[in-house]
Amino acid sequence: MKDNLFFAEPATSRRGFLKRMVGVLSALVAAAMTVPLVGAIIGPSFRLKKARWVKVGDISSLPLEQPTNMKFPYKTEDAYLRETVTHDIWVTKHSSSEVTVFSPICPHLGCHYAWHPETHEFACPCHGSIYSVTGKVLGGPAPRPLDTLPWKMEKETLSVEWETFKVGILQKIRT
Amino acid sequence: MPSKIVQWINARWPLNAVIRWSLEEEMPGGASYAYVFGSCVLLIFLLQVITGLWQLLYFVPTIDRGYSSLNYLRTEIPFGWLIHGLHYWGASAMIILVGLHISQVYIWGAYKNPRQLTWLIGVGNLLLTLGLGFTGPVLPWDERGFWEAEVAVSSAGTTPILGTLARNLLQGGSVLGQLTLSRFFFLHVAILPGILILFVILHLVAFRKFGISGPWDEAKRKRSGFFWPDQVFKDGAVVTFIFVILVGLSAYRRPPFPGPLDIMQTFYVPKPEWYFLFFYQTLKAFQGVLEPIGTIGIPVIVTLLFLFLPFYDPSPERNPGRRPVAMICFFIFIAWVITMAIIGYYSHPGVASGVTSKVSTASLQPSKVSPGNPPAQVSASVKQGEQLFNSLGCIGCHTIKGRGGVVGPALNPQLLQGKTRQWLITQIRNPRSHNPSTIMPAFNSATDQQVNEVVDFLLSVVHGKPVIRGPVAKAPPTAKVLVPPAAPPTSGVTGPHGPPEAASFIIGNVELGATIFHQDCEACHGPQGKDKVPNPGSTGGTVPSLNPVDPFLFNKNAQTFINSIDPYIQHGSIPDGPNPALRMLPFGDSESLTQQMIANVEAYVLRSNGVERAQPVHPGLEPHFFFWLMVIVFGLVLGGFWVWKDRR
Repeated sequence: MKDNLFFAEPATSRRGFLKRMVGVLSALVAAAMTVPLVGAIIGPSFRLKKARWVKVGDISSLPLEQPTNMKFPYKTEDAYLRETVTHDIWVTKHSSSEVTVFSPICPHLGCHYAWHPETHEFACPCHGSIYSVTGKVLGGPAPRPLDTLPWKMEKETLSVEWETFKVGILQKIRT
Repeated sequence: MPSKIVQWINARWPLNAVIRWSLEEEMPGGASYAYVFGSCVLLIFLLQVITGLWQLLYFVPTIDRGYSSLNYLRTEIPFGWLIHGLHYWGASAMIILVGLHISQVYIWGAYKNPRQLTWLIGVGNLLLTLGLGFTGPVLPWDERGFWEAEVAVSSAGTTPILGTLARNLLQGGSVLGQLTLSRFFFLHVAILPGILILFVILHLVAFRKFGISGPWDEAKRKRSGFFWPDQVFKDGAVVTFIFVILVGLSAYRRPPFPGPLDIMQTFYVPKPEWYFLFFYQTLKAFQGVLEPIGTIGIPVIVTLLFLFLPFYDPSPERNPGRRPVAMICFFIFIAWVITMAIIGYYSHPGVASGVTSKVSTASLQPSKVSPGNPPAQVSASVKQGEQLFNSLGCIGCHTIKGRGGVVGPALNPQLLQGKTRQWLITQIRNPRSHNPSTIMPAFNSATDQQVNEVVDFLLSVVHGKPVIRGPVAKAPPTAKVLVPPAAPPTSGVTGPHGPPEAASFIIGNVELGATIFHQDCEACHGPQGKDKVPNPGSTGGTVPSLNPVDPFLFNKNAQTFINSIDPYIQHGSIPDGPNPALRMLPFGDSESLTQQMIANVEAYVLRSNGVERAQPVHPGLEPHFFFWLMVIVFGLVLGGFWVWKDRR
């Protein structure tokens, strides 16, 4: 049999019909498998990290209008891993019921920045971004001001909603 | 354009030749559904490779993360349920198809000259397939996988002379642990599939040299057919059908969640996968000194019998009607395998004889005495005391006569020996006077008569014989409707004394949870958690029901539901009220239940409330929906094709 093996036959012939049926069956099974395989690869790739409220601590001893770094334990959920890590935030106390909370992650490229009391500025060591006490960009490559985090207060005990945002872009978009 | 590309390739690579070799096969006697099994094995093996690879995206072969990473795939990854289900059911399908393929080859006598080498390679394929079926289930390192590894390693150790070496090599380290798992992973994911792929290629080349052996009847051989498209169509139709079945099984019969490994667990009855049950049952005949004959001798002998078949049966006769000895041996073998497998499936090795395998639902009744014990002359007060022991909640913490909880010491004759009535009464009424740091609550709301009856019961135990521990409980039927409790809210609790812990993110096993619940929770919460067991001194008056559970704890999202009940089990809580006799004990903090056991109990409580602990949170498409969508699409396309064919 030297004919073209695949689809040279007219579809009406028995052989032609069988060849086409094999093609159809293969396509059906391939399609039925492709959907789940692609779905499983894409999977969690575009999922947002879960934001969670976490208790940070007591702010009663914090100085007024001076950013203070507060650390707290946080139970992370990384796929099937559950670990307790330490996170930190910059908290500026305005009164016993009013604060500003900044994420410690520089919106430029993700480094942790520091507060410099002598110059009254935040400064990032990686690429030199400088921010005022209100988070406004004073200099350097930062694309937007410091990211604030939602907070709530219960009798001078501060809780924040831990979120992270995409770095390097103008808008503050959650990851 | 495509033909130009094909031409270009053909000038540089023998594409056409390969395609012709693959598809051009003349089949004496024509194509037949009897010949589909070899191709089916090959295509299902391809399915196993693909689904196996995809699982590597998420599964990690470590003893602490194996089970949880696999469950993450099965519940949180779109279509993870399907990929794992296809792999699980595909393994069983592959073994069945291999069996059918071997049977067909045997009956047709297709192992005879000149096809002996094809047969030899085929036996190699069989052993590799069984090896894959053996190493695969170990990987999640869950309650099932661990014991399968343990059996594998111990069996290897029974090999004469080389036993210790074999055992140590398979175990990989000083304990059955991480290195063992890594070795099984290495075998299952790399070595065995790699060798099998090589052997399959050799098998196909050997097969193609002579083609099918075809019908033994000369008359039937006159008709001719071609592999392509006649046989390929039949192969394709059968494989498609098998594929649809596998998807249906993945949707309607999810592979089980055996529960996390818990070495201290004593309820789990380890059994191998169904395809090894015949061997498991046969081994029971070889105990003690005879063990190596069973573990090593039988597999070696059977393998040799398979291997050398073409050589001790060299006669060219292929008609099965003229090979009575061969056919009889075949049926004896099949009968042995099937019979042993069925016996093995229904056997209950861990339960003492004389005890049934169904747990009594009326567990508040006095426990049954084992046969052989003379029925004691039991006075009324002892009987009453036994009922009070249950209803007052003592059984929740203390084991007596083989039943009960393990929070407190077991009230066996040795412990109770020498304790006076007065001592026992004080222990019940005011346990702290004997031990200031005890967590036993003071039962000072029970009447004097009740306390005396309980003590009568306790004292009767000193002189009686213990009853054999009750067997594994059956899981409850799923609760159909959640009915809010009409009674006043039982949740006068102060709330649990802490956050959810590790058990809250382990997916437990419902059946094991039912057994633990029966042993440790039932006394206070009632059988299956339904009853309102009295809790004198509490505001609500009863212990909270768990079936249905309080609405403020219930949630149809499994994780949220678990997060609200786990803290109670971990850290305990005290009900509101002036002097509650019973309180929820901190089973987690006191380590009277392991985290794995708590995970199992939680899975059981959720199931009683109609929530699946292992629900697919992100299934992609719901399993049942995906299956029927696929069936309808397949049906429409194939049906449309059939109609189109008839129209022309």
